[in-house]
Amino acid sequence: MRRHLGRDYRKIVEVLTEDVAPMGLEVFEVKGADGSEDSSRFLLRFKEPPTVSEAETSGIRIDDLAVLAATIAFINSKQGRVARREVEQFLREKFPRWRVDYSLDRYVKRGYLEQDERTMLHIGWRTHAEVDEKTLMTLILSRAQEAAKK
Amino acid sequence: MEQEKLEEILRVIELCRDVESSSANPFDVDIKEKISLLRLRLPEWKFLDELLVDSEAMLELAQIVKLQDEWLKHRASSLYIDPLLIQLKVKLLAKEALSEAFIKSWHPVAQIDQISPRGLEKAFVYWRDLTSMSDRFKNQFGTYGTRPGTVDYTELVSLGIFTPEEFEGTLTVLHDELLQKSNGEWVDYHQFIGDVSFEDKVRRAYLLAFLISEGKALLRTEPLSGKIWTMAVAEKAKGAPKSVAISITGEG
Repeated sequence: MRRHLGRDYRKIVEVLTEDVAPMGLEVFEVKGADGSEDSSRFLLRFKEPPTVSEAETSGIRIDDLAVLAATIAFINSKQGRVARREVEQFLREKFPRWRVDYSLDRYVKRGYLEQDERTMLHIGWRTHAEVDEKTLMTLILSRAQEAAKK
Repeated sequence: MEQEKLEEILRVIELCRDVESSSANPFDVDIKEKISLLRLRLPEWKFLDELLVDSEAMLELAQIVKLQDEWLKHRASSLYIDPLLIQLKVKLLAKEALSEAFIKSWHPVAQIDQISPRGLEKAFVYWRDLTSMSDRFKNQFGTYGTRPGTVDYTELVSLGIFTPEEFEGTLTVLHDELLQKSNGEWVDYHQFIGDVSFEDKVRRAYLLAFLISEGKALLRTEPLSGKIWTMAVAEKAKGAPKSVAISITGEG
């Protein structure tokens, strides 16, 4: 972007952000592994999260999202990297085996999770791009407290 | 002695790899101690293989330092929560609540799926040249894929489902059973064929239909109540045969 738009490319990104805002979108910056400006990627994403019914009508299964939410929370609690078999073991306490295997493979394929050559699972680029991980962790903790009180 | 020293270095490599391939704390590896060991042994290595093992150990230690760096960064971020606490919380939450938490923190990436004119052309050509289903079945299964129809006794015998002796024997057993149960009275058809499994029910209905066709049993229907009655006869019944369609379900 620096090469094609010039040094002030961030200003152009800002203008674009303003332009897409009425459509409910925003330009979001995903920092690269080294955290430098050159490794950043810019994506167009929904400004506000969808409602539950909107998410349901988009054809996504609630159970699949629950698997992803639990996996992200678990990986984050383990310093961002966990052996896949450990994640599977953790998930199988709550979800059927077939759903765990199927969902993990699918989320690795879609970029929400990353699996390295040692079969360690990490958070994928797409989760960094699409999920507000702090909000997710906070919501899981607060909801669980509510559930425990009930 | 040389071998022992080399094994020490191999153990360092092994330890590093274990930590890398598990979620163990990378700070469990004492980097300072391991580097001192490598430094101590380095002047003693004479062969290329030994030096290669030494450099491999160094590389693995560097990987552990990288992991330690990531570990610290993550721990310092607000994303760190005790794993046991998270496991407990996730267990407590219903699947719906988990997915709702995800949706509330989710900003899907906007994307447009569209087909190019070239893609459209390819799709058109694909559908145009696609062999029809019936032809595909014919190519794959020959004439096996025929329309639904009826299977008669000869076909069942040819398919190996019945042997002539077995079939005759089973028919006689069923006829005797019906004779005994009806004893000159009408018995409920469904009660008679109804047994433990659906498969058995269908089998008995098929055999009974055979007895009725042969005139060894009678069938009476009550159109108003929908009830069907049957009765075995000792002598072959005479009169004009009539066809009756009876549906059998898997229920009751």
